[in-house]
Amino acid sequence: MSAPATTPASRPRRRRSAGAVESAARARTWGKSALLAVIFLWCLFPFFWLIMTSLKIENAGLNSPDLFKGPFGFENYRNVFEQDFHLNLRNSLAIAAVTTILCVVIGSLAAYAIARLPLKRKILLLTGVLAVSLFPPVALVPPLYELWYRIGLLNTYEGLYIPYTSFTLPLTIFILTTFFAAIPKELEEAAKIDGATPFKTFYRVILPLAAPGVFAAAIIIFVSAWNEFLLANTFAPRDPEVAQTVPVAIAYFTGAVDFQRPIGNITAACVVVTIPMILIALAFQRRIIAGLTAGSLKG
Amino acid sequence: MAGTQATADTGALRAGPGRSRGVSETALGRLFVTPAILLMAAVALFPVIYAFVVSLRAYTGRQYEGFAGLDNYTEALQDDEFWASLEFTFVFTVTSVAAEFAIGLGFALLMNQAFRGRGVTRAAILVPWVIPTVIAAQMWFFMFNVNPGSVNALLGLGDFNWLGEAGWVKAVIIFADVWKTAPFVALLLLAGLQTIPTDIYESARVDGANALQRFWHITLPLLRPAILVALLFRTVEALRVYDLPQVMTGGAFETESLSMVVQQYVVLTPDPGLGSALSTITFVIILGVGVIFVSLLGRELTIGRTGR
Repeated sequence: MSAPATTPASRPRRRRSAGAVESAARARTWGKSALLAVIFLWCLFPFFWLIMTSLKIENAGLNSPDLFKGPFGFENYRNVFEQDFHLNLRNSLAIAAVTTILCVVIGSLAAYAIARLPLKRKILLLTGVLAVSLFPPVALVPPLYELWYRIGLLNTYEGLYIPYTSFTLPLTIFILTTFFAAIPKELEEAAKIDGATPFKTFYRVILPLAAPGVFAAAIIIFVSAWNEFLLANTFAPRDPEVAQTVPVAIAYFTGAVDFQRPIGNITAACVVVTIPMILIALAFQRRIIAGLTAGSLKG
Repeated sequence: MAGTQATADTGALRAGPGRSRGVSETALGRLFVTPAILLMAAVALFPVIYAFVVSLRAYTGRQYEGFAGLDNYTEALQDDEFWASLEFTFVFTVTSVAAEFAIGLGFALLMNQAFRGRGVTRAAILVPWVIPTVIAAQMWFFMFNVNPGSVNALLGLGDFNWLGEAGWVKAVIIFADVWKTAPFVALLLLAGLQTIPTDIYESARVDGANALQRFWHITLPLLRPAILVALLFRTVEALRVYDLPQVMTGGAFETESLSMVVQQYVVLTPDPGLGSALSTITFVIILGVGVIFVSLLGRELTIGRTGR
């Protein structure tokens, strides 16, 4: 019952009366932690279910809700890669990577101009950016399909990363404007006094300082491009050889039996995709959260 | 301004090579925003205008047949499928956003209070966000499905068929959406909660306000901007819903969303005129809802913060 161990520094107020008050406070702390465990399970249990189900072979995945009942094996994972899933991964990786690069380059230029450079009609500009961010992607489907059909961009990487870039730009601009605005102005003024051109100031002084923000934006862009389904399913629905992305492949996985969704293959593919994503999310959680909240609190 | 004065004082620098080659700040500003504006206009603005033009034309298959006036719109508005999808989209939006808000607010309040395990929970909360919606759809489909019956086993429901009846299918789709996005709402609201200064709560407590009063009179009003932002983004996103019903039901059991109907007239049963009319209607509905929210938010968002 050593008091110092359980009385966190964060709750010093409770200390004034010992005994009953303190144990009530401790009970409350534990109660809150127990509720936190609910959030924790909410977020992670389905993922645990996914892993266990993907490891069940033959019909075990469909037959029993008991997660620990085998037979277990890696057969599903072998099947997934026999169905060209590595090509889907390649397509998604390429499309998301190009989207990220384009968005970061174009978006950071625009965000810097909005945050720091003298620009007329900034409010109008930001309202326009906000309007684009509210834009329903499905409004693009008919016109872009016609256009891509005519100029041959259906089933190509370009056909996807071009719309992805323009759709993710608003969020990129909102996130990066926040980060650029937070950099002390004195640094730019010092650079200016030292004779740096405005462009040099941006490139040499501001950009390195904004690197964490740019990185956060890059992850968020990558995730949204990686997860996109509507346009991918419309503009590149089939053929992993060409441009079919991961979500489209997972949506239409076929199994040995026609009328049954192959639970093992689907869950295995899901695990292959989610593990790297979750690792990225956990590794950079602080930056991602800063980026997500900056982007939306602004926009 | 400050810059020009500084260079006037240090005349030597002005003659330096860097200075004379440099572009003025205003020109640079224009140069920097131009690519972003052009790209957003080309891929967002232009297609909407183009879709509107196409929606005024008649087609057979993909074959252009001449000007149609508003025929496509009357056809769309007389289409039962359109009204059914509109109803589903609205039901989905209202219920899922309400549930996400309630649960997200609960999560956020809790995370703002608790100390033990807060860091881990903050990390865990990103997991549903990072998982592709298509994967969430497949996952919850199987969990609710009779085989293997994971949800039924958990609730002791035997062989209850969640995916065999319109009402329950909708509930399952909404649940999957709530699972995926409530943590995200929590994240946004948590950021809002953390901007509320703690001394306001202290003085309210001194004045004898109980927890409920503090929540109602301090937390909620001060959280208003964050709440509106979260609701705005979630509502607009929910109105676009496509991934979940497309993967879980393919539109069966009255779960076809507006986006699915538009997509169908573009790819499966091509009719560019009708498809464009439907997409224009969808666009107007979603943008209209967005505009209502933005005007509610008023100046505090777009202008107040970026003015600096």
